[in-house]
Amino acid sequence: MTTYPGTGPVIHDPSTLPVDDNVNAYTFCVELKGSEWFLQKGKMIAYYGSMEFNGIGHGRLDRLVRTSFHSPLHASDWVVASGSGKMLLADRAFDVNSFDLEEGNLTIRSGNLLAFQPSLALKQSIVPGFLTLIGTGKFVAASNGPVVFMEPPIRVDPQALVGWADCPSPCHHYDHGYMTGLMGGLRALTGMGGASGEEHQFEFVGAGTVLLQSSEALMAEQAAGAVPNQAGVPGGGGAPGHQGQQAGAPRLPGQLGDLQRRFGL
Amino acid sequence: MFRLQGSKVLAVDMTGDAVKAKNGSMVAYDGQMAFKKLSGGGEGIRGMVTRRITGEQMTLMEVKGQGTCWFADRASEINLVNLQGDKLFVESSNLLATDSGLRTGTSFTGLRGASQGNGLFTTTIEGHGQAAIMSDGPAVVLRVSSQYPLTVDPGAYIAHQGNLRQSFQSGVTFRTFMGEGGGEAFQIRFEGDGVVYVQPSERNSIAGDV
Repeated sequence: MTTYPGTGPVIHDPSTLPVDDNVNAYTFCVELKGSEWFLQKGKMIAYYGSMEFNGIGHGRLDRLVRTSFHSPLHASDWVVASGSGKMLLADRAFDVNSFDLEEGNLTIRSGNLLAFQPSLALKQSIVPGFLTLIGTGKFVAASNGPVVFMEPPIRVDPQALVGWADCPSPCHHYDHGYMTGLMGGLRALTGMGGASGEEHQFEFVGAGTVLLQSSEALMAEQAAGAVPNQAGVPGGGGAPGHQGQQAGAPRLPGQLGDLQRRFGL
Repeated sequence: MFRLQGSKVLAVDMTGDAVKAKNGSMVAYDGQMAFKKLSGGGEGIRGMVTRRITGEQMTLMEVKGQGTCWFADRASEINLVNLQGDKLFVESSNLLATDSGLRTGTSFTGLRGASQGNGLFTTTIEGHGQAAIMSDGPAVVLRVSSQYPLTVDPGAYIAHQGNLRQSFQSGVTFRTFMGEGGGEAFQIRFEGDGVVYVQPSERNSIAGDV
């Protein structure tokens, strides 16, 4: 075998690549031995061995999809990798990390989830734009900067939130002393008078873990699928990606409706 | 002498010799340096014409002098490659610098180039010396040998080296047209003996959409 001394970085081959672990901070290696993994479309960068990538609508995979895939409406964004060999996953040079769940549950922003083992069940979260994984197994998530784990009670910046495990209390928190009243309205509307941009947070209480990315640059949202248009279903009736714009949801500053509500008009 | 300063800056120590580098990639220098634009990458009239025809264009400059010169481009990760008489195939957009003693040229890549929107041709570098190639995120270097053929996504491929055969695989089936494709419809398979550089990111390509 030819060698290339001084090539600098480590040269990997199937025997030196890790099994279901990171190759570097941005690349993850999955070993398939006749097993299957779900992955987001187009995140495979290279593989050794023989593998097949099939869209979720593939007939042979129907049973697998029924047991571990419960978001039928965004199935077209996912593929099933099957075969044997080692596969490298990466996403636009973002940090990738794997997490293990043991009889647990974790809710994650839809754009951050890269891949998961079929022993986990993927479901749409009640929170629009988020997906929930339930069961035992490994999944791979991307984040903009390394992930930090925090214990509730905690208030986090919406753009830094990646997901949360085992704590069922995500709620909005507004800095009311700062945001209400005439001055608050003007601040939010104009950005003048010292709006800090941190008047709104997500709040978590109870036992569990909150995952944050160390940057406030959001990953591109993946459509998490529309939900049935029924009374009592949050985000119901909204087209995918346009959820959370009902009355009561925070509106963009500059919309008159906000100001009217503040002034009690 | 090429060395990395951090992972995104290339430092080249020169004692009267020269390097070829991507036009405008110099960020600092120490000592006496002369910068000269190389029309057609220093490949002569024939090379210039070939590059114009093939669309595999690159603008290189020749840096000559005494001292240290630092190069960087858009905070891309830089990978050093040592060449000992073998050939490196790299996309011209991923090439940052080479020793001036290395010969550059163009080569036909076939359908791989077409699938990633980079054109049908790629740049080759040959000879003895060092080259610096860029990637979006640190490149992973994968060895290909007879018992371990490798399959790569065209959008993540940046370069390869050694005696490799590449073949283009298409997984386009009727399902692709029904919107149920596997997302990895175009792949390049490498067989033989050598190494392949992939980046942890995919360029936008038509292959990414099917």
